[in-house]
Amino acid sequence: MIIRGVFSMSIINRLKTLFKGENEEEDINTDVSNTSDDVEVTSVEDVNEDVISGAEAAAPEEAAAPEEEVVEETVEEVVEEPKDDEKDSTLKKDIEVIEEEIAEKVHEVEEKVHETVEAIKEDVKEKVEEKSNKDTKGDNMTLLTDKELLNDSNRDPDFTAEFIDAGIETVKHCFQCGTCSGSCPSGRRTPYKVRQIVRKCLLGLKEEVIADEALWMCTTCYTCQERCLRSVKIVEIIKKARNIAAHAGYMAKPHKMTGVFVMNTGHGVPINDATKELRKAIGLSEIPPTTHAFPEALEEVQKICKLTGFDELIGYDEATGGLKE
Amino acid sequence: MEIAYFLGCIMNNRYPGIEKATRKLFEALDIELKDMEGASCCPAPGVFGSFDEETWATIAARNLTLAEDMGADIMTECNGCFGSLFECNHMLQEDEAKKEKINANLAEIGREYKGTINVKHFAQILRDDVGFEKLASLIEKPLDLNVAVHYGCHFLKPTKTIGIEDNAENPSILDDLVEITGAKSVDYKDKMMCCGAGGGLRSRDLDVTTSFTKEKLDHMTAAGVDAIVNVCPFCHLQFDQGQIEVNERYGTDFAIPVFHLAQLYGLAMGLSAEELTFDAQRIDATPAIKKALGE
Repeated sequence: MIIRGVFSMSIINRLKTLFKGENEEEDINTDVSNTSDDVEVTSVEDVNEDVISGAEAAAPEEAAAPEEEVVEETVEEVVEEPKDDEKDSTLKKDIEVIEEEIAEKVHEVEEKVHETVEAIKEDVKEKVEEKSNKDTKGDNMTLLTDKELLNDSNRDPDFTAEFIDAGIETVKHCFQCGTCSGSCPSGRRTPYKVRQIVRKCLLGLKEEVIADEALWMCTTCYTCQERCLRSVKIVEIIKKARNIAAHAGYMAKPHKMTGVFVMNTGHGVPINDATKELRKAIGLSEIPPTTHAFPEALEEVQKICKLTGFDELIGYDEATGGLKE
Repeated sequence: MEIAYFLGCIMNNRYPGIEKATRKLFEALDIELKDMEGASCCPAPGVFGSFDEETWATIAARNLTLAEDMGADIMTECNGCFGSLFECNHMLQEDEAKKEKINANLAEIGREYKGTINVKHFAQILRDDVGFEKLASLIEKPLDLNVAVHYGCHFLKPTKTIGIEDNAENPSILDDLVEITGAKSVDYKDKMMCCGAGGGLRSRDLDVTTSFTKEKLDHMTAAGVDAIVNVCPFCHLQFDQGQIEVNERYGTDFAIPVFHLAQLYGLAMGLSAEELTFDAQRIDATPAIKKALGE
């Protein structure tokens, strides 16, 4: 109920200010920022409740109620003062004038209160959103957060089935101990979280896995797989996830280019003039006895790439020997 | 003994001194290295294996059929090639459905995978088929050199399928092979860590890759080594070319020469720095070679 507390305090303060004739703008701003601070330290759950309370408080009837009380008190104070020095008739007139003024002020205050409440609501909404974003990015053991529960609608069972069908049944054996992440040299320097990826693959969170660039931060060093207490074929899982990502269009250009080199020469790293010279100088054949020296062998490799659709997958342009696009 | 010699890409197309040393070494060992004419990229596990398993397996299986036709086991001295070829061979031997699928593709180019040969790593052949004693007899000049051995990842791992006898967390095969040359293998922190190049990371994000490499170079430097010894031309490239990239990014001045195990043997057998193409490497190996030969 933090908001409500701050809220009513601010009304009293502002009313006092009104009668002192001071500038109220500053106070409103201060109050809003204070409220924001209060919201920030509360948990998401509290904030949600508070938002609702704030909204209730914003209803004109409720908001007006405490103000009237305060106004009446103030009127009494105002009324008390002239009592000692002036006659009753003058007092009555003055009171009428004051009452009119008060009515005006109350109206003004009501408007301000409404504006403030709206501002607070906006602010709280932003904070809640900010907080929920942080939670999504956080490394949560079960992938469950207070505000976001996964259910079957979040899952793509076909995605999980792809791992099982590929013979990586061990994806189901993972009990999330984290030995893999603790052993991972990439995880020490990149956002790559291998334990989390394995979990997401089992849960079927397809987009979260394949759209994540961190999936490509694994060097396939096998340290995780070697140490896995449950003999999960972790590197196979990563490679399978990458296959699915690649077929969904998530491919880095340098990777496609390696494919282009193989399609053009049969080698991921083709020979160059400097190496030809070196080879000749030390008594090796200038061209190694590979696809470089046997064009018919290169044709076989190219035929395989077309057969499996690898050329289409990387966007190979036969006319230019480069990438389409 | 005959072996189908798989070249791959980086060794023959960038560091031919490794190939030269290997041919000399096997000549001395009286083992015939037969060229696999028309072999291609293994293909690279980080790109092909990560993009499309079927394409990866079909190209790898095509390479395997070349050796099957020769009736010889394959030897490769690149961890990446070893990973791809061994893994594909193992997969097709175990999984009949996948074998059928891949063979349907191979039939289109008039080939058939049978599963009749083994894929072996250079270091594995030296230890298990040649033996330490015979290797020791080839050493002309015992080398005076302190080296940081870098195992790389796709050599002993995944241990469940690879089956090279050793302990992947604390192995000895490469240290033993290094020490036969007279050089000393110096222990260093996180020795088994990856160089950072694999899995397609080098081509995709060089900053992350060099961050791996810098960590390794820091630990190697702390141990006070004269050279790095590896058994993978891709790791070799990452420590040679990558060392320049680390220096550019971090303002460091690392200058640890990089030797493939075959080059170390070449040096111990009396081959010159030029024959081993050390003069074409990015990091000057002259100081280490002079020290090694006591010059």
